[in-house]
Amino acid sequence: MSLRLLFLDELKGYAKSKVMIVLWFGLPLLSLLIYFLQPDTEGVPISFLVGLLVSSIGGTLSGIMLSTSIVSEKNRHVYDLFLIRPVRRSSLLLAKYFAVYMCLVVAVVISLIFGLIIDEFTVGLSEYFLNETFESLIISMSSMAITCSIGIFFGVLVSSVPVAAILSVYLGSQLSSIILLPTFFIVTLNPVILALTLGISITSVIMSINMYLFSRQQF
Amino acid sequence: MTNVCIEFNNVSKKYKTLLALDNISFNIQKGDIFGYIGPNGAGKTTTIKILVGLIRDFQGRVNLYGKDISINREEFHNIIGYHPQEAGFQVWRTVDHCLKTFGRLSGLSSEYLENRIQEILELINLSDVRDKKIVHLSGGMFQKLRLGQALLHKPEILVLDEPLSGLDPQMRYQFKKIIKKLAKSGITILFSSHILSDVQDIANKIGILNEGKIMRIGSPEELQSSFHIGNLIEIIFAKNTPLCDGIEAISDVENVEKVKNNKQLIHLKSNVDIDSSISQIMNKVLQQKCRIRSISLVKPSLEEVYLKYVGGETD
Repeated sequence: MSLRLLFLDELKGYAKSKVMIVLWFGLPLLSLLIYFLQPDTEGVPISFLVGLLVSSIGGTLSGIMLSTSIVSEKNRHVYDLFLIRPVRRSSLLLAKYFAVYMCLVVAVVISLIFGLIIDEFTVGLSEYFLNETFESLIISMSSMAITCSIGIFFGVLVSSVPVAAILSVYLGSQLSSIILLPTFFIVTLNPVILALTLGISITSVIMSINMYLFSRQQF
Repeated sequence: MTNVCIEFNNVSKKYKTLLALDNISFNIQKGDIFGYIGPNGAGKTTTIKILVGLIRDFQGRVNLYGKDISINREEFHNIIGYHPQEAGFQVWRTVDHCLKTFGRLSGLSSEYLENRIQEILELINLSDVRDKKIVHLSGGMFQKLRLGQALLHKPEILVLDEPLSGLDPQMRYQFKKIIKKLAKSGITILFSSHILSDVQDIANKIGILNEGKIMRIGSPEELQSSFHIGNLIEIIFAKNTPLCDGIEAISDVENVEKVKNNKQLIHLKSNVDIDSSISQIMNKVLQQKCRIRSISLVKPSLEEVYLKYVGGETD
């Protein structure tokens, strides 16, 4: 009950935040910009590039947003008023995580649809293009899932807003690229299955650590 | 049948090497307004955080209505309302949204909350800002909102941590009025403060805490009488009245021990009949045709009592 309520509340808050508005409108516009710049994509669909771009920019921004908002709320004792009620500490983190992730997924989907529309008008859509876009979508979502969990990790662990932001930028996005690394060395690996497996397992481990650390913190 | 509402039994709390609470024990009766006073860092907020469940690793036992709060935590969430000293809000919310969220988390239905929020906002004079974002509220309004969220679920026990700090005199007056009104409705109130006049105004029972130890507990009157200054009478003479020569004669009155401060403070021997001594002194003074504005028995102020227990100096 409290998780659902907190999730819907956080979703409302993040959906109205400037960062999300930038992501929702800015990233599709970036797709357009990529089209006008006409980079040599060597046959890679625009939608694929857009997907990677969104996961990189969106993931990083969301990681920063999560880490800094948690640090700031911890420092301002915002959680005190939640924790005196029948609310699990883990619900506070999970609600934030799912709200931001949901907003990001919306941004990715909007951007990919934009990319597909551009592809349709420029080179025409094919099964290959759709497969590439789907692959891009799965990789982006897995990568963002990890980035967001790392953002929460630094939010829980650190007590300074700038430090949390810096760590999220440098480590969050770097570590999330881990899901692509194995495909560079083992070409037979299916990138979609690998991204899904690593995305879910790494995120679950990091979020479990986050919840453990958060439950032990003194407010 | 016992009427004890809150019981602290040998409670200690240590932060690494700092002993914040040192084996404190006290209890609060149902309907009491308990003023918890002590200097900054005395352990007031730690005590309160243990009571509301924000600190769970402590030694000792805390009971609410005879039940251990560590075991029956879930049961007590909705009995206690907590006004924290420094808790913030998510400032992107409106006042209404904030109260609705806290209300729902306390298990109240949306339909019930519609009216309840209006009631609370009227009580704390925030009706005008119901749809305003919290980020636009003033410091005083922020403080009132903290109180508002604590009252949403009609708690039986209200715990207020420094509720009056940082408020201007007008706001303090309003706040004290609200607290008194709540107390009249039968809520048990524990509030901490380091402003003695506020405690004296509101509380019917006071606990003095210093360096993690309970120094004294009692009603304001009990605390004042525990601070023994002897039987001291103060005479204030009428303005422009020169002290009569004969006033020296006060020293000769039976049971007068010494006369000082320009003959205005008169110490009587202990265990004497004060009323009879005052009559004798009055007669003596009036015989000398001295005009008196007032004559009173001097009691120690709460400030003197407080300073005695926390180690400060009195004049």
